[in-house]
Amino acid sequence: MKEKTHTPPLFYTRLFRWFCKEDIYDELQGDLDEEFVLNIQEFGIHKARRLYKKEVIKMVRPSIIKSINAQYTSNNHTAMFKNYSIVALRNLGRNKLFSSINIIGLAISMVVGLIAIAFVTEMYSYDDFHEKGDRIYRVVNTRTPLNQTPSEYATTSVLTGRRLASDFGGFEAIAPIYRGFSGNMTYGDVTIIQGGIYTNNDFFKMFSFPLVAGNPETALSEPYSVVLTEATAKKLFNRTDVVGEVIEYSNGDQLKVTGVARDAPFHSHIRFDAIGSLETLITKNSSVVTSWGSMWSSYVYVLLPEGAKPENYQTSLDQLAKEENEKVKRYQIAMGLEPMNSIVPGDGKYNQMYTIMPKENLKSITILALIVIISACFNYTNLSIARSVKRGKEVGVRKVVGARKTHLFAQFVIEAIFVAILALGIALLLFQVVRPGFLTLNFYMDRTTRLELTPIMYLYFFGFSLSIGFLAGFVPALLMSKLKPVSILKGISTIKSSRRVDLRKILIGLQFTLSMGFAVLVSLASKQYKFALNYDLGFNTENVLNVDVQGNDLELLKAAFRKVPEVKGVSTSSMVPSTGSSNSDYARYKDPTDSAIAYTVDVTPEYLDNMGHELIAGSNFREGETQDKIIINELMAKRLKIGTPAEALGQSLHFYDKNWTIIGVVKDFHHGTVNDKVEPFGFTSGRSNHYNLNLKLMSADITSTMSKLEDAWSEVDQLHDFSAIFYEDQIERTYSEISASIKTFGLLAGVAICISILGLLGMAVYTTESRVKELTIRKVLGASVSNLVLLLSKGFMPLFIISAAIAIPAAYLMFERTIVQYAVYKINVGIWELSGGALLVIGIAFLTIGSQAAKAAKMNPAQNLRDQ
Amino acid sequence: MKGSHLGEFQELVLLTIMVLKENAYGVSIKREIKERADRSISRGALHTALSRLEEKGLIESWQGEANKERGGMRKRYYKVTDTGAAALRTTKQLRDSLWNEIPDLSLQPQHNYA
Repeated sequence: MKEKTHTPPLFYTRLFRWFCKEDIYDELQGDLDEEFVLNIQEFGIHKARRLYKKEVIKMVRPSIIKSINAQYTSNNHTAMFKNYSIVALRNLGRNKLFSSINIIGLAISMVVGLIAIAFVTEMYSYDDFHEKGDRIYRVVNTRTPLNQTPSEYATTSVLTGRRLASDFGGFEAIAPIYRGFSGNMTYGDVTIIQGGIYTNNDFFKMFSFPLVAGNPETALSEPYSVVLTEATAKKLFNRTDVVGEVIEYSNGDQLKVTGVARDAPFHSHIRFDAIGSLETLITKNSSVVTSWGSMWSSYVYVLLPEGAKPENYQTSLDQLAKEENEKVKRYQIAMGLEPMNSIVPGDGKYNQMYTIMPKENLKSITILALIVIISACFNYTNLSIARSVKRGKEVGVRKVVGARKTHLFAQFVIEAIFVAILALGIALLLFQVVRPGFLTLNFYMDRTTRLELTPIMYLYFFGFSLSIGFLAGFVPALLMSKLKPVSILKGISTIKSSRRVDLRKILIGLQFTLSMGFAVLVSLASKQYKFALNYDLGFNTENVLNVDVQGNDLELLKAAFRKVPEVKGVSTSSMVPSTGSSNSDYARYKDPTDSAIAYTVDVTPEYLDNMGHELIAGSNFREGETQDKIIINELMAKRLKIGTPAEALGQSLHFYDKNWTIIGVVKDFHHGTVNDKVEPFGFTSGRSNHYNLNLKLMSADITSTMSKLEDAWSEVDQLHDFSAIFYEDQIERTYSEISASIKTFGLLAGVAICISILGLLGMAVYTTESRVKELTIRKVLGASVSNLVLLLSKGFMPLFIISAAIAIPAAYLMFERTIVQYAVYKINVGIWELSGGALLVIGIAFLTIGSQAAKAAKMNPAQNLRDQ
Repeated sequence: MKGSHLGEFQELVLLTIMVLKENAYGVSIKREIKERADRSISRGALHTALSRLEEKGLIESWQGEANKERGGMRKRYYKVTDTGAAALRTTKQLRDSLWNEIPDLSLQPQHNYA
């Protein structure tokens, strides 16, 4: 009996079963087993096992292993495929409910997958149109200010590019680009605003931005020459054959048009309306092109010769940096080459030329899509396994007739792939519906993404749905193809092994954990969002319209707006508090060693009234006597130990290298966002750099007021459009990141809940169907409908409790780590905030189960028993 | 002719089968060779040799009984055919005639280490 417990190594037994020819298997396996038993007696179990493994390995020889082709030669592939397809379609048709649950569930999740694929493909297709793209590199800077941590910038000084060209060799082309060519251009009586770049002729040599007119080799050679894009030329001249024309630039320069370039494609990280010649700046000896330190808005691109390695240029860059760093003290700059192909998606460098989608966004959307898709695959797996009892007979018959495991596996996988392809059709329709919403999700999307479907994407989609089908069908196919004909024909009860029920429960549990997690996260995020929008700022933002001054004369604008009767107050300010922008310096009172960081906003005297700031002591600014006067908040008086508000009046503060006399104290208010604490704050007045005009409105009809304001605006400025936003909307925009998270997680929560409820519905239908007899008998014996519903729902309860126990802490952690990571003021998270989402999901789940159970319980018992 | 030529290992297997008489199957052949010639051969190698011999018609085989040690798998017994016996005899005659040509064979040391 002892040796019976010693079995040969399982893996090797299976391996041998797998590769050994059918007709000699019995003989060889028998010999292996017999020898194994003998070896145990002679050498002991360990050596016997070792010898066994050795023997199996040595079995791998042509005379023993199956020939790869022989396995299938007897089958007609196409015929079988056709047969599988027909069976698959019939099965779909026969179980309409289960099929639609599967298809819809997969379709919903696939939309998320399609978006992810389209989005990621689009991001990686950026800058693909440059013919020499694989040889173009960008010089990037790592700037380390004295005693501070280094930061990485996409920008480099123009000087670097010029010196690389003059003092170092080995580049095929070097194009420094300065971003500051923006302003108005005038031709005749047409003036347009444009945003352009300065660069040199190498720009056209390097990048594939073709010229439709003009010579790319000389277009930017002369100072004061300009290349327009077709779109810009059309705007300015209403035609494109404009080479030789002269236009006036807003700084008074007369620029000669030397070329017309095709418009830059959308998927380019370099965009421009016009290109000025860098020579212009060199002629003017602008510091932009001569200073090592002016690296904030210029870029240097280099084209390496064919076959050159970027590493070999590092010494030149280091040498250049060393020479230039020696001339400065306050900072050091290190340089490196970044391949152009890796600019988008971005890795978080500062000062990119255009908005660049960060890599993290790509990562998170891919992960979220995967989660949702896997969840939908669970549904398919679950329902298929649940129905395996019914399909078992088919499997049995096929096996008896001679189908092999691989055939059955293929059949079930093909069935799943069919479902996936049908789902893809629906998903493509849904994709078009969801697309606009996704594009406006946040600032980044809007500016960088179009989600246009290209042929290659359709190919990806198709491949994607094939793999989804395989993923979803894999486990059921494996289980079904393993069924033994004997056990099937013996009776279906034997197939219900407890292990498989557990697998199903685990899958459902995972789905519900996801659903609840997303639901809880959404409810927490939207609470925080509402909190951020509605919390008391300490001043009044109601009916305040902030107008973007856009460089116009403030007095003219104020006068124009005052003529509109609905305008009750007009003020201007340097920035808009509570929306994230700030200006600060260290402020000192008498004690020279005690300083505090203090924020300031420069305003006109009317501002305090407009915003309803409450003066506790002192008075407002008086027109004409505003210089060096400051109105502080309570906290500033307290922090710098100036004393009570009344005592503070007339005292002198030192900051921004000046002395300021305190003329008033206002009540504390939130000048920052929820992410900032209330800090010492001061209003100053009398400076001219005001970018915002605040209009206090009193109007019953906002639309007509707005058109009146627009008229008033165009009296002063015909060139720019009136751009205004209500203060409250502006605050809302400040928290757009939270609202984007809410939208994203809301969508995902919706999808996850839909999928899990669909899956649960399937399971509930299946459970009730398979227990109809039992339910009927219970009913006949006197059980009430509610008893029966309870009976059926009971089994799911522990599952939900476990799911909730995992989901709630996970969601809370995620909320703390991402959404309110930097928030100083946040919501109090209570039991309802946490459990609300989970309870909602559980509620929907029980409604689903209950509806099915009730349906079964309400049926006429006689009917059921007769059917069975 | 390729068919009639016997390899050294094939000859060994044939002879072992003859020695084992009625009881020649995988395990017994393997063990007999191990015992007599002290050669460990793998079952796989033995299978290759057996199938070659069977192809040449030198041995024949039939299914035998199963038992518990074999996990219910049947044995396959091997027997040398007349052709096989003839081939062995030819080989032996060839060897004998060669041996006869060598008079007084005696093993002598090749080197002396004084």
